[in-house]
Formats: sequence, structure tokens, C-alpha cells
Amino acid sequence: MEKVIQIDHLFKSYGDVKAVSDLSFVVKKGELFAFLGVNGAGKSTTISMICGQLAKDSGSITVLGRDVEKEFDAVSRKIGVVFQNSVLDRKLTVKENLRSRGALYGITGRAFEKRLGELSKVLDFESFLNRPLDKLSGGQRRRVDIARALLHEPEILILDEPTTGLDPQTRRILWNVIEKERLERSLTVFLTTHYMEEASDADYIIILESGKIAAEGTPLYLKNKYAGDYVTIYGCGEDKIKDLGVSYTKIRDGVKIKVSDTSEVTDLILKHPDLFKDYEVTKGRMDDVFLEVTGKALEGGAAQ
Amino acid sequence: MTLMNVVRRNLKMFFKDKGLFISSLLSPMILLVLYATFLANVYKESFTDALPEEFHVSDALMNGTVASQLIFSLMAVSCVTVAFCSNLLMIGDKASGAIGDFTVSPVKRSVIAAGYYIASAASTLIVTFTALAAGLLYLSTQGWFMSFTDVLLVIGDVFLLTLFGTALSSCIHFFLSTNGQASAVGTIISAGYGFLCGAYMPISTFGKGLQNVLMFLPSTYATSLLKNHIMDGLFREMETAGFPQEAITGIRDSVDCNIYFFGTRVPTWVMAVILIGSVVLFTGLFVLLHVLSKGHMRKK
Repeated sequence: MEKVIQIDHLFKSYGDVKAVSDLSFVVKKGELFAFLGVNGAGKSTTISMICGQLAKDSGSITVLGRDVEKEFDAVSRKIGVVFQNSVLDRKLTVKENLRSRGALYGITGRAFEKRLGELSKVLDFESFLNRPLDKLSGGQRRRVDIARALLHEPEILILDEPTTGLDPQTRRILWNVIEKERLERSLTVFLTTHYMEEASDADYIIILESGKIAAEGTPLYLKNKYAGDYVTIYGCGEDKIKDLGVSYTKIRDGVKIKVSDTSEVTDLILKHPDLFKDYEVTKGRMDDVFLEVTGKALEGGAAQ
Repeated sequence: MTLMNVVRRNLKMFFKDKGLFISSLLSPMILLVLYATFLANVYKESFTDALPEEFHVSDALMNGTVASQLIFSLMAVSCVTVAFCSNLLMIGDKASGAIGDFTVSPVKRSVIAAGYYIASAASTLIVTFTALAAGLLYLSTQGWFMSFTDVLLVIGDVFLLTLFGTALSSCIHFFLSTNGQASAVGTIISAGYGFLCGAYMPISTFGKGLQNVLMFLPSTYATSLLKNHIMDGLFREMETAGFPQEAITGIRDSVDCNIYFFGTRVPTWVMAVILIGSVVLFTGLFVLLHVLSKGHMRKK
């Protein structure tokens, strides 16, 4: 698969603080790439460098085969960015905002009206096109932010915590649109989020800690390596489980046993078939992976 | 095309902030009323005292001279201070993060800079030309001696002076990142610029050392240019009324219509060249600051 972002030995410091330290990774075309870490881990610094907003100390950043610092003009046409906080003009209407931003990419006149029509339909903001941004709810503003980032049909969409604080319905709309763009145009999505269920859907995940990669891989690989599996046995008495000599958690309808992998479950089933009448095997969650890797939980916008 | 759209967006942002627009528009009017109320008599007495007793001066000439002094003071100060007050969008964009939305796009830094400059100059020109219209209207009620050419030249001066104020404020505001900082700078400029440019008090009344320093500032020549074009008609009328040439030269010297650069009188065309040069210099510097900040990236 084509490499759309390649970062090699990237360093960035603020005084004595190493925000990014020897970071190297590759994002492939069409991937949903999740970039996780607690606040201050270096996510936003890395994004700012990819978007050409911040100068690196050393290393290299290549986007679609072009050096970001040397060929930013060409790179910028291929990137769409949804910032952590909306950066559109609050006093202007949705249409005025998108018109002024579209013009930055040379999208004006009929081309703009056509693209506006498409985006307002899929992101469902036709009804408030002529309303000023400061009269919109957070969810409505976020939809306009996504539209702004997609105006010029970028090949890479960078989402910096796009759904923080949004209601489930708006989150669903946003993800449906992004999924559609990925399927239809092979859009590559570079995501930072505090919602682990969003990261679970990623093709590849990097967990950043103190500017360095603490763990990386596919969700399956990370779950297998750091979270283990669970087997839940329903309708089974606790006394029988005690005899197995494994650690378990009592739940309302049965017990939940933590196992290292599915082969351990297979062994248990073969040894104690009488216990496994009604059971399910589940993978560990990304929350468990994150907790295991960083020692910190990450939920709803705050590290704990 | 892109530049036009950036300018349009910036102008829309300015006019959406109705409070900012109205306060920018009102401040020169309020100044005019204050000047006419509190300073007119001071100027009048000062002018009368300077004339020999045997001279009889018509009311129109007397009042016209006083009103001219009020108007050139007002315009010399307003063109710069209004620019500082209305040229806030660049700082607002930094505070809101909107500037990041521009810099992730392929638009050139020079276009962003020009967009801010043109929109700010246009909005400031609306205010300064409104103030000029009010000032000329007031002058016509007091004593009108300006020719059509004088009026055109004054319009040109106000245009250039506004561009100068916009360019200067743009360069200074480039380094600011909050509205609080801009407000502090605006206060300092409003308080000090009138004295430094010779609008409130003629530079000829300052000490020699300070005069020499002020001779190196373009604002000195910009103000003098405006004074010359507003007062030329009055000096012509004084000649007709039989004022001796020495007396007219004395008045010209005392109100800074004549500026001497280390003993050599500076002609008005040189003043105009200095003003135009300053506009070009500061505008170029502002665009250059944006382009150089590209690198294009922030270091922090």
C-alpha cells in the first residue's frame, strides 16, 4: 500500500521539554490511523508539524512523497484539518465561512456552490446555511468544521479530537460521512481521540507517551499483546470456578475469567467441558490496552 | 481572486462587529466637538496675541484659521489612531485560531498580509473620510478659503496618512497576540502620537534637541503636509488682506507649515515623497514580516 505520511526520527523540543523524541512511523493510503496519548504526550505537536504549522528540530516529514517544509504549497492542497477547537469565524454565517475558506483553494462560483450542496446534504446542515456560527450548537459547528476540512477533497484528513463533547447522534453523522469518503475516495484519516471505541475501529494505532511511541500495531495485535481475552461463563456457580484455580470476576449472570489468549480458553474447555454450556470469548478493550501501556486511563477527554 | 476573497472576508468581519465600527466612526466626531469646545478659544487668543495691534483681521479669516488648526490636528491624529483601533482582525484571528486555518491552506503569506492590509485600510478610510467631511463642513461654517485643488490635495493627504497609519499599525500589531495587548498599544499611541507628530503642539515650540529627533520621523512631514494644504488658502487670503510677508512666514513657521531639516526648509513635494516612501516602506515591511514568518512555521 502507498505510504501517504512518512515520519522519520522526528524531534521537537520546547526548551528542556522534549515534546517529540525520535518519532518514526508510516501511514498508508486509505487507512484510519489512530494516534493516542494523554494530554501533553506530543500528539498535537506532531500534527502541527505534519500540517506545516510548526518547525521541527530534526528528522523528516514526508506527505505523499513531498517534504512538508520544502513543498508545503503542494502538500497543503492534499490535507484537510479539523482542529481541536473550531477555528471558523463565529460572526459569519456557515455559507460565508465556507465560501471564504473555499476561496483559499481556488474553489469559487459554481464549483463552490456544487461542493457546498454536496457537503451540506451529507453533513445535514442545509437548514442552517445562513445562520451565523455563534448561533449554532457545538454539534452543528462541528459538522461545519468537517465540511470545511473536506471542501477541497483532500487525500488526507487530519482529525484532532473531532468528537470530544459531541452528542452520540452527531458523532454518528460525522463517522458515517468519514467512512463514506474513505470508501469512495480512499481518504486517509489521521485521528487523535480520547474515545477508545473510535480508536478500536482504526486500521493501525500508535500510543504516544512523552513524545515517544509506547506501543503500536493493529487493534487486534495490541489487544492480544496488552489486554488479553476474557471468557464469560453464564449460569455457572462460583464454587465450581474456584476449583479451576484461575482469577475471575463475579458478574450478575455468571463469572468472567481473564485469560492470556484464546488457546488458554480452548484448554479450559477441553479440560472442563461440563462448565462451558453457555459462554462467550471476548477480546480485551482498547481502554485496557491504553491502561496497560501508559498506566493511565483515557476517557472522554481527560487522562486519569 | 484569492486576495479579493480574503479582503471580502476581512471586511465582513470588521462590519459584523458593529460596536467596533461605530466607535471608530464616532471617536473623530467626538474629538472634533471636544476640540471646538475647549481648544478653539486657546488657538484664537494665541493667534490674536501674535498679530500686531494695528492689524484688523476679519472674523472669517480669524475663525477659519482657528478651525483649520483644529481640523489638521484632528485629521493628523485620527488617520493614525483610528487605524490602530480598527486594525484588530489580525490579532483576533490569532486569538481565535483562524490564522491557523489560513496557514494550513495553500494561500501565500503575502496574500494573507495584503488581505489584512487592504481591508484595514478600507475600513479606516471610511472613518477618516467621514471625519474629513465633518471637519470640512465645520470649516465652511467658520471661514472657508480653500480652493478646489486644496480640497483635492487634503483628500490625497488623508488617503496617504491613513495608509501610513494602517501600515504602521499592521507592523506593530504583527507582534501582538491578544486584544489586551492591542488595547494597551492603542492607548499609548492615542496618548502620544498627537504630540510626536506635532498635531497638538507645533514642533517649533519644542526644545532644539527634541526638534532634531522629530525631524527623522515621517509623521512630522505627514502632519506638516496636511497643515500646508489645509492652510494654504488662509495664507493667500492673508496676503490679499495686506499681511506683510514676514508675518505670514512667521505664522507658517509657528504652526509648522514650514519645517526645517537642520536649517534647510523642506518643500511640500519632499514631504509628500517622504510620506509615500513611508507607506511603501511600512507596507513592504508588513508583507515581509508575514513572508519571513513562513519559514513558514512557528518555532514554538
